[in-house]
Amino acid sequence: MSDPRATGAARYAEDVEFPEMLHARIVRCPFPHARIRSIDTSLVPESCVVVAGDDVRDLGRYGPQIQDQTVLAVDVARFAGDPVAAVAAPTRREADEALPLIMVDYDELPAVFDPLEASEPGAPLVHETADVSENEAAYFDMRPQAGTNICHRFRIRRGDPEAAFARADVVVDETYRTAGAQHAHMEPHASVARWRDGRLEVWTGTQTPFNVRSDLARIFGIEPDGVRVVCEPMGGSFGAKTFVRLEAIVAALARKSGRPVKAVLGRAEEFQTLNRHPAIVRVKLGATADGTFVAARIWCWADTGAYADCGPGVVQKMGFAAPGPYRIADVWVDADCVYTHLPPNGAFRGYGQMQSTFARELAIDVLADRLGIDPLELRLRNVIRDGDTYATGERLHDCMYGECLEAAARAVRWDAGRRGKGLALLMKGMQTPSRGEIVIEADADGGYTLRCAAAEMGQGAWSAIRRLAAERLEADVAAIRFPVPDTDAVPYDTRTTSSRTTYVMSRALDDAVRDLRESGGRRGHGVVDIAGGLDPDTGEGVASHHWHQGAAACELRVDEETGRIEVLHLHAAIYAGRVVNREAAELQNEGSMIMGLGSALYEGISFSDGQVANANLSDYEIPAVNDLPAQLTHELLEKPGAEIHGLGETALPPVPAAIGNALKSLDVEVRELPITAESVLDALRPGVPA
Amino acid sequence: MSEPAWLAPDSLEEALRLKAELGEEATVVAGGTFVAILMNQGLLTPTTFLSLRDVPGLAGVDVADGELRLGALATHRTVELSPLVRERWPAVAVAFAVVASPRIRNQATVGGVLADADYASDPPAMLTALGARAVVRSVRGPREIPLEALILGHYTTALEADELITEVRVPGGAHRATYRKFRSRSHEDRPCVGVAACRRPHELRVVVGAVADRPQWFPELCAGGAEEVARAYAAAIDPLDDVRGSADYRRRVIAVEVRRALEELAA
Repeated sequence: MSDPRATGAARYAEDVEFPEMLHARIVRCPFPHARIRSIDTSLVPESCVVVAGDDVRDLGRYGPQIQDQTVLAVDVARFAGDPVAAVAAPTRREADEALPLIMVDYDELPAVFDPLEASEPGAPLVHETADVSENEAAYFDMRPQAGTNICHRFRIRRGDPEAAFARADVVVDETYRTAGAQHAHMEPHASVARWRDGRLEVWTGTQTPFNVRSDLARIFGIEPDGVRVVCEPMGGSFGAKTFVRLEAIVAALARKSGRPVKAVLGRAEEFQTLNRHPAIVRVKLGATADGTFVAARIWCWADTGAYADCGPGVVQKMGFAAPGPYRIADVWVDADCVYTHLPPNGAFRGYGQMQSTFARELAIDVLADRLGIDPLELRLRNVIRDGDTYATGERLHDCMYGECLEAAARAVRWDAGRRGKGLALLMKGMQTPSRGEIVIEADADGGYTLRCAAAEMGQGAWSAIRRLAAERLEADVAAIRFPVPDTDAVPYDTRTTSSRTTYVMSRALDDAVRDLRESGGRRGHGVVDIAGGLDPDTGEGVASHHWHQGAAACELRVDEETGRIEVLHLHAAIYAGRVVNREAAELQNEGSMIMGLGSALYEGISFSDGQVANANLSDYEIPAVNDLPAQLTHELLEKPGAEIHGLGETALPPVPAAIGNALKSLDVEVRELPITAESVLDALRPGVPA
Repeated sequence: MSEPAWLAPDSLEEALRLKAELGEEATVVAGGTFVAILMNQGLLTPTTFLSLRDVPGLAGVDVADGELRLGALATHRTVELSPLVRERWPAVAVAFAVVASPRIRNQATVGGVLADADYASDPPAMLTALGARAVVRSVRGPREIPLEALILGHYTTALEADELITEVRVPGGAHRATYRKFRSRSHEDRPCVGVAACRRPHELRVVVGAVADRPQWFPELCAGGAEEVARAYAAAIDPLDDVRGSADYRRRVIAVEVRRALEELAA
């Protein structure tokens, strides 16, 4: 079977063409923080259309969670790369040539690049105010701290850990740092906009069609029904194509020019568009001599860059899962989402879990070492089991953490000696609350058409949903059609994120099939509503309707003279509940593990005075095929009668921690990602001269 | 601004004539891997390309007078897979085989990797250690430049504005050679430190690449035991800092990798 993605037949947003269409390029601020004094477009040829601050000054402010964005920077630019103007021209080349003809005059302003410094009183403020968004993606109570750069603060306040630490025999207190990362999706961001009869139509690669629709409606002051978003399949996203990216800029250019406008980002621009949150996580964990955890305090500072994007949500998830799947009676968490003058950070496969998992799981091994207890044994003594109460107060069911951990340990023959081996355990929430809908239409030829907003980004959502529909309709998969999602034609869905789609759509399909059968067999509309949510000041409530559970184990060796790490075996054990499409699930696991390997060893965005210093895929390294461990293995744990568990991200977050813990078994203490050969050598042989 | 001119002569004579006429104005393209990166990063905006792809006779790999002759347009992949090179100059095959990925190696050429004079390349150090010479031609005639005199600094060579590299000649004769590419990151990365060593009956050459603006060779330090030479090289080289490692780290790795290279030669 020839896959259209391999033959070149697949159509992406970049391939959308219209007669008279213009091509856009973006003028970006070269300074991390600057006042825009003037923008001179007098040299730009008349065949081009330019939009700049004054064209968008009166448009609505937007942002999925905090309303801190304008279509282009108005008066102030907040990071090196902030769009300050955009030009549309009849050809891409003419747009390229017009770009340097737009003269912008700036006054540089003081900037801050570190989330701890940015949290200090007196730090330069990135934004004067932080208004909570009206977008449906602002699904929880936000706690911006007035007069600071903190745009959201999430806390868990369960018990009194400081008092409980007094009962502990050993308390560890460790701080870890993780670097920003690029999604490095193969297909760049691409969007096309067209205005027709007062309606805005957008063809774009996005995981969030309905959130994009509501923000565009707000920006242009029209009803959501006045915006149509066609959600083209994507050549990878990993969180990068969430919420409004290029859509507002091409829409503003299309409105001004009266013609369709397309924009496609270059690779360097991707590094200025959306990255993963760099984070600092401090873990204080106490246990009694027998290895019983008694208390934890965890602090997270996540750098969300110059615009919040979904940073508050990332930080809330980073915070609420930070204590991990362990029984701990007294837990406090303080997680701050902090603005800096760096490019925005947002959704990234793992959604904050990699950062807090790395810190917690390394701290547990430090604790195990101090207690003289095997790290596997220490985890199993404290791991959450069915019926236990989590730090949020919710009672947990369907717990397979212990089983995942034991499976991972078995895979690396933990009992045969643990030098060079490491383990890590993960819990990750699913988008909660959440709503998904699907419509089944019976076609004249005996087949069915699905109307569904689920985005296809290479993860196989469409094939999984078609397969689930075929099972329920007792039809052949080939007879199930899945047209490209179009908000004019599909019912509402929260978004294709947080590994929720297969699970949510399987339940929506149950409901749709029931409706189809009850209402005459022509059309069935299924709805699933998942309730929950947390109090941001106490962390009480329902964090996640169900939890993604997984463990990673690794075996590695180190060249003690150069610090180079060779990962020999990497294994992930992931709880799937029930596997829907085994091949796709296995590919998700492998992809997640390889991305985790990149985060562990290679990937980190480096900045020099606020500028991305490695904005290309030569200086910014992702794993290549020869970097894979000799053994890259994984397993999907299932349980009879269990519900489907999402697994698109689960195997990523525990990988860097497993590698870090394997290094610890070789007396290499790691506190920072990525773990470079140089840092390993420094840890092994501090200050040894050549 | 207009579309850059694309000149693709179909004979060496025509190519040399154009190079003489255009000089530095002509951006010479063979495989295009280097030029494309510079253009993508906005570091190079050529007005005229001089493509060598249609010039016949420059892609060969053969032996004459006991020397290996690599045509300037021979790709890395061709050199890597050549049975002749693998059998008689195995270290040359290795130095080309460890570059990037097969997709790049199918494109990048012998002449290109020398003429671009990028410090973070593998083949130049190995070719220097083997005592290779570049054959360069212009309308004024041919000349030979020893590799150690070809690359002068960052992106700077001894080529005159009208000259093109047409061939590389690697001496044969009894020798043992090795190339060690030390990568601090991905397998497809450029070297953090590259060590080339070649022992001939009366000479040992150690050349360290990717640590400074040009391959580092210290003839006066190439005597003594492996440990001794390695320490001397680590002390003599003033390494640069980049994304692949700090100067201090490179110094430590040079000491290790030079020693390992010499141990391999001795084994």
